Amino acid sequence: MIPVLDELATLLTETAADAAEGWDLAGEIPVDVLRGLGAKGVLCAEVRPEFGGLGLSGLDNGRLAAHANSLCGSLRSVMTSQGMAAWTIQRFGTRALREEYLSRLTGGALAAVAFSEADAGSDLSAMTTEVRRDGDDMIVDGVKTWITAAAYADLVVVFGRHEGGGAVAVVPVTAPGVRVEPVPSPMGCRAAGHSTVVLDSVRVPPQNVLAVPGQSLTLLTSIALTYGRLSVAWGCVGILRACLAAAAGHARTREQFGTPLARHQLVARHLTDLYAAERIATQMCEHASRAWDGRSPGLVMDAILAKYVAAGNAARGAASAVQVLASAGARDGHVVARAYRDAKLMEIIEGSTEICQLTLAEHALAVAS
Amino acid sequence: MTEPASAELTVETIEEKLQKFLESRTKQTWDPDADLFKLGVVSSLFAMELVVFVESTFGVFVEGPDLVLDNFRTVRSMSALVMRLRPGDPGA
Ligand SMILES: Cc1cc2nc3c(=O)[nH]c(=O)nc-3n(C[C@H](O)[C@H](O)[C@H](O)COP(=O)(O)OP(=O)(O)OC[C@H]3O[C@@H](n4cnc5c(N)ncnc54)[C@H](O)[C@@H]3O)c2cc1C
Repeated sequence: MIPVLDELATLLTETAADAAEGWDLAGEIPVDVLRGLGAKGVLCAEVRPEFGGLGLSGLDNGRLAAHANSLCGSLRSVMTSQGMAAWTIQRFGTRALREEYLSRLTGGALAAVAFSEADAGSDLSAMTTEVRRDGDDMIVDGVKTWITAAAYADLVVVFGRHEGGGAVAVVPVTAPGVRVEPVPSPMGCRAAGHSTVVLDSVRVPPQNVLAVPGQSLTLLTSIALTYGRLSVAWGCVGILRACLAAAAGHARTREQFGTPLARHQLVARHLTDLYAAERIATQMCEHASRAWDGRSPGLVMDAILAKYVAAGNAARGAASAVQVLASAGARDGHVVARAYRDAKLMEIIEGSTEICQLTLAEHALAVAS
Repeated sequence: MTEPASAELTVETIEEKLQKFLESRTKQTWDPDADLFKLGVVSSLFAMELVVFVESTFGVFVEGPDLVLDNFRTVRSMSALVMRLRPGDPGA
């Protein structure tokens, strides 16, 4: 690890290691903690220094996400949203917008990213949120569901329809017509601030809307989601690392039938499976992040593949870890209990397991000769 | 992979590289004016691969208002984009 990554990892450990369980049980991370991390640039560490960011490579930013998730899945979720918001603004924003908002996102302001709606989950093409012109302003109208970090956010990056194509609007939550309603009791990543975001004819200045004639909604969402997929995939690596550490530590010390659990072969197999799951996920993520950093066109499919493999491995690995700890881990808030709940949700977001399978099958059909 | 900012980058050489890449990925040939997305042969995910291919092969950054699907719709529109964005060109 290069020194800056080491320092950032230490900062996250100091902030979250002892607090994560309490955040999960309370369903909330103190917003000042998030703002503090945000102001240090940690929440979107890939933003370039010219915009106030730390300028981490994709690979190092991924490693940071893994470390965050080994401590707290909710904190990593907030990082994914902040990073995806910054990435979207960096890719699609005008220079003026980039300068204004990227410096805010590295200066303590918090952001969420809104694609999903009640009737547009896996099928984002069914999105009905509308971005329309009204005189000198733009108006955003729609209801977004399950928006990670929205409960903490100052800004919501909203994807919607615009003149037959797609557009992205950067909406301050203080704008009249914005309502943020937290999801009661999410099953996992409980402190990530998931919320419904109601946008009732919200008026925003036109420079906050990235609307170019001929833009495709799917190009917008797929570019934004590629960042998100990599971040979630790395988060799953962190889940697996936390589970492996907990399961190995427990199996080493807990004795039944006169011998440490690890000496029972069926338990040892759980450890093998967890170890293999973590190694495979790590290598898939490293491969995809190198493609990202090297700007190789393969990165698009590599990111989907990494997310697919890592999320599946995390869900199975977390189940193994709970099995190995048994009653010792069967308490809400325990690291393996959190991992078990959080990991299952990783198979749903940023392209569910099934949607990844369909995409990867199409890709296999196209490239296999 | 990145091409040095070379004066030899012409519309013809750009289009040749694009056509070769498209052929390798879609197993069909493409006229410079053919709409890649119209027939559904090319998905929006593949559009993103195209964006990255254009950036890394021709050493340009496609950002902001240039990052729009219409700029990737045909081999011709992509070569025009590259000619406009290539290093040394003050651009928009
Ligand atoms: C913890 C969490 C955080 C989230 N954060 C955000 C966020 O920050 N921003 C945001 O915009 N959204 C967010 N979401 C929403 C998330 O993106 C959606 O839940 C996801 O896209 C799936 O949509 P859905 O829940 O409506 O499921 P559905 O689309 O209804 O799918 C239900 C099931 O059917 C399967 N399915 C659907 N279509 C097909 C098909 N064609 N073939 C085979 N199987 C299919 C799915 O894989 C899934 O298993 C979040 C959700 C969760 C749970």
